[in-house]
Amino acid sequence: MGNKETPMLELVDVHKSFGDVKVLKGISASISKGELLTFVGPSGCGKTTLLRIIGGFTPITSGKIILDGEDIADLPPNMRDTKMVFQSYALFPHMNVRKNIGFGLKLQKLPQKKIDDRVDKLLSLVHLDGLGDRTIDRISGGQQQRVALARSLALEPKVLLLDEPLSNLDANLRVVMRDEIRNIQERIGITTIFVTHDQYEAMSISDRLLVLNDGVIQQIGTPSDIYETPDNRFIAEFVGYVNFLEGKIESFDQDSSGLFLVSTEYGDISLNKINERNFDKGDEVFLVIRPETVTLFPSDAQDLPNMLTGKILHSMYSGNLVKYTIKCGDRELLIDQYNPKDSIKFKRGDNIKFTVPRTVHALPKKG
Amino acid sequence: MAEAVIGNAQRSLWYKIRIFVNSHLINIFAGGLFALLAIFLAFPLVMVFIKSLWGDDGFTFSFYQEFFSYNFYYWSFLNTMILGLSVMVILVVVGFCFAYMTTKGPHWMRTPLKICALMPLCAPPYIFSISLITLFGRNGMINNFFNLDLNIYSWTGVIVAQCLAFLPLSYMMIENVLNSQNPSLEESASDMGASEFTIIRAITIPLAAPGVLKAALLVFVMTIAEFGNPAILGGRIPFLAPDTYLMITGEGDFNMASVLSVVLMVPCIIIFIIHNYILKGKGYTTIVGKPTAVDPKDMTPVIKYSILAIVVPVAIMILLSFAVIFLGAFVKIVGVDNTFVIDHMLNMQSNTAIYNSVKLSLMAGLFGAIVGTLLAYVIMRGKFKGRKIMEMLALSGFALPGTVIGVGYIMAFNSPPFLLAGTIWILILNCAFRFLAVGVEAGISKLHQISIEIEEASADLGADFITTFFKVILPIMFSAFIAGFIYTFMTTMMSLSSVIFLVTPGFDLAAVYIYLTAQLGELGLASAATVKMMLIVVVCFASLKLLAKKTGLDVIEKK
Repeated sequence: MGNKETPMLELVDVHKSFGDVKVLKGISASISKGELLTFVGPSGCGKTTLLRIIGGFTPITSGKIILDGEDIADLPPNMRDTKMVFQSYALFPHMNVRKNIGFGLKLQKLPQKKIDDRVDKLLSLVHLDGLGDRTIDRISGGQQQRVALARSLALEPKVLLLDEPLSNLDANLRVVMRDEIRNIQERIGITTIFVTHDQYEAMSISDRLLVLNDGVIQQIGTPSDIYETPDNRFIAEFVGYVNFLEGKIESFDQDSSGLFLVSTEYGDISLNKINERNFDKGDEVFLVIRPETVTLFPSDAQDLPNMLTGKILHSMYSGNLVKYTIKCGDRELLIDQYNPKDSIKFKRGDNIKFTVPRTVHALPKKG
Repeated sequence: MAEAVIGNAQRSLWYKIRIFVNSHLINIFAGGLFALLAIFLAFPLVMVFIKSLWGDDGFTFSFYQEFFSYNFYYWSFLNTMILGLSVMVILVVVGFCFAYMTTKGPHWMRTPLKICALMPLCAPPYIFSISLITLFGRNGMINNFFNLDLNIYSWTGVIVAQCLAFLPLSYMMIENVLNSQNPSLEESASDMGASEFTIIRAITIPLAAPGVLKAALLVFVMTIAEFGNPAILGGRIPFLAPDTYLMITGEGDFNMASVLSVVLMVPCIIIFIIHNYILKGKGYTTIVGKPTAVDPKDMTPVIKYSILAIVVPVAIMILLSFAVIFLGAFVKIVGVDNTFVIDHMLNMQSNTAIYNSVKLSLMAGLFGAIVGTLLAYVIMRGKFKGRKIMEMLALSGFALPGTVIGVGYIMAFNSPPFLLAGTIWILILNCAFRFLAVGVEAGISKLHQISIEIEEASADLGADFITTFFKVILPIMFSAFIAGFIYTFMTTMMSLSSVIFLVTPGFDLAAVYIYLTAQLGELGLASAATVKMMLIVVVCFASLKLLAKKTGLDVIEKK
C-alpha cells in the first residue's frame, strides 16, 4: 500500500497515430493516488487524445496504461475503472438529474434503495439538493456540469477524467466551478486527470502539470516548477509572458558566493547557482525574465548590481499594475509594476534603470 | 515500481472473450446488418443480373440479343423512356407553376392550391387510373355527358395519370427551392427596374435550376418505375414495368423478365448516382441572416393568368378525381346508376384485403424501423470500412423500381437456403427493405444532432453496446424510429409494383385487390377499397405531421 511507490496510474511509452499522423510520441508519466494532474498544452498537442486513450475511447497504437497494477490498454471503456466528465457534459437528455447520476449504479444492478441513498449523497456533495427531479434542459450550464461530475463520481472510479470541463461556462462561473471541483477532489481524495488549454486554469487547480506539445511531454512538475523553472523556451512562453535575454556564461565563482556571471549585450548579470544545471564557462544561455520580477528605477538612481538601462516606450495602467514596454538596446521588454499607487509612475520617453534579480532562471541556448 | 502488472497473458479466457465482445459488439451488429442487406437487397438484384445472362446452356447474351431484335421488347424500353421524359417535362412546368403561385401568388390562393398539389400523396398513384376510367372510360361520366369518344386507354391516359400521381413530388421539391430563395434578391432586381417576367427569367429560374433538376430526375425515376398506371391504362402499349410482370405471370419467362428488369434498372441507377453524388449539395443558398417578412407584390396579370391557365385545370382534375373515387365508393355505378349503396364499402373480400395489408404494413413497418434505426446508428458511429457501401445499399431500395426487386425476390427466395416464397415473410422483408431509406435517413439526421459523447458517457459508466443502444440511443432516436415506422407502414399499404409478384392466390392485399378490380372494370369495388386505404394513409400523414411539429423531424419533406 505504499502509495508513493506504486502509482495509481502509469503511462508507459504511449504512442498514438491517426494514419500517418503521429499524435502522441512516447508518453510516459505516472500519477499517484489522490493527486490532481493536469494535461495542458496548445490545441492539437494531443492532450485530449491522451485522456481519451486513458478512458478507452481511442485505441492506443502502442504502449501500456497501467491502472492500479493492471494494464488496461486493451479494455473497452465499459470495463475500465476510469470515469470521464465530458466537455459537452454528455448528459442523457431523456433522463432527469437523478436518473443520470444513478445510471451507472443501476447498471451494476444495485438495489434501488441503495442507488437512491447514494444519489442523494452525491446531490448534496455537488450542491444540487432538491434538483434531482429536474430534466436536463431545465437546469443551467453550471448545474449540468455538477450533474456530470456527480454521475462520474457515483461509481467511485479509481481515476476521474475531466475533459476541458469548464470550457462551456462563462468567465465568472469558470472560476467558481474550478475551485469547487478542486475542493471536492481534495475532500474525497480521488485521483484526477484534468485537461485544459488554459494555462492559468491549469496552474491554479493542479498538484502537478504535464505540459504537452506536438505529442511530446515538455515538462512535468508542480505549477511553480513550470512557471519559475521551465525546462525550455516553449514552456516558458506557454505559461505567462516572458522576456528572453541572450547571454554567455563568463565565469563561475566556485568557492565563495557560488555566482555565475552572464554577459549580455546590455551589461553583465550575475546569477545564483542555477537550477542544478551543469553550465560550463562559455555556454550560451537564455535568461528567462518574467515581467513582474524586474524592478524599475529612475535614471538618476544609484547603481546597483544587475542594473541595466532603458527607455519607456509605452505604459498601460490597469489598476493593480502598470504594464510598461521598455526599450533596452534594440530590444523591447515587458515589465509589470505592481501596486502602482506606491511606486513612481513613468511616462513615455522617460529614461530608466532596471534591475534583474539574481534568481533569474537560465536555459541553455541549444538543446 | 509496478512489479506485477496484470496484462493480457494473466487474464482468463472468459475475461478475454468479454473484452473482445465488448470491444467489437457494434462491429458484430454491423456484420449482421450487412448480411441482412446483402441477402434481402443485393442478392435479389444479383439474381436478376445472373438470370438475364444465364440460360439453360449457361452464360449467354442471347436474351439481350432477343431484347434488341424484337420491336415489342425494345419499344417497351423506348416507350418507358418517352413516358418518363414527357411526364418529367410536364411536371417541371406544372410543378413550377404551382410552386410559384403558392410562394408568390395572392395569399388566398396559396393554401387551396397547396392542398390540391399535395392531395395525391394520400392516395396510391394508380388512383388516377380508376378516376380517369370513371370519368373518361367507355362508360365514363364525362364521355357520356358530352357524348365524347375519348379513349383513356392510351398514351394520353397514362401520361395524365402519371402526371397527376407524381405532381406532389415535383411540387414539394420546387416549392422548397423557391421558398429558400431570399425575397430581397427579387426586390433588388425589381428595384433596378426589372419586370416580373425578367425577374423570373433572370433570377428565379436560374437560382432554382439545380433544385428543379433534382426534382426532374426524381420524377423521371418514379414515373418509369411505376407499375399501376401503365398496367391499367396502357392497353396494348408496351411499358417495361407491366411487361416484366406479364413476362412472369403470362409466359413464365424469367430470363426475359430479368432482361427487362435490368434495362429498367440501368437508368434508375444512373440517376441515383447523379442525384446522390453529383448533385449532392448543389444549389444556391441565398438566405443569410434573418429573412424579413415580405408583403407579396401583385403579380403581373399576363403572368398570373398564364400560370392560372395551367394550374387551375390541373387542380380541378385532382379534385374531380378524388370526388369520383369517393362517389364511386358509395353509388352503384358512377354516372350510370347513381343510387346510394354501401355494398362496395362492406365487401368482405375488400375488407379482408385491407386487413391483410394493415397486418403486413405493421410488421414491415416495425421490422423496417428497427433495421433502419440500427443501420443509421451503425453507419454513423461504426468505425469499420464499407460504411459507405452499406449506406448506399440501404438507400438503393428507394431508387430501384419495385418490379425489379419483386422479380429478384421470386427468383432469390424460391428455393433453399432462403425458401420464403408463399409466406408472409417474403412480403414483409420485401417492403421493409425497399422502404428502408426513409428510416435510415431520419435516423442519420437525428444522430447528427446527438453528440457522440453521450454514447461514450454511457460506455464510460459501464454500459455495453446493447445497453447503450436500448437505454440511451433508442430513446433519443425514438422520433426517427417512429417516423421510419409510419413511413414504411404507409408506403407498404399503397405499394403494388413489388408485392404483386409475391402474393399467393387467396392472400389478397389492398393494393393488389384495387389493381385487379380496376382491371376488371369493377370501379365501385376499386373505389371503395381506395377510399378505405386513403383514410388509413391520411391518418399516417397526420401522425407524421404531428411528429414533425413536435420533434422537428420531417420525413415527408425529406422524401
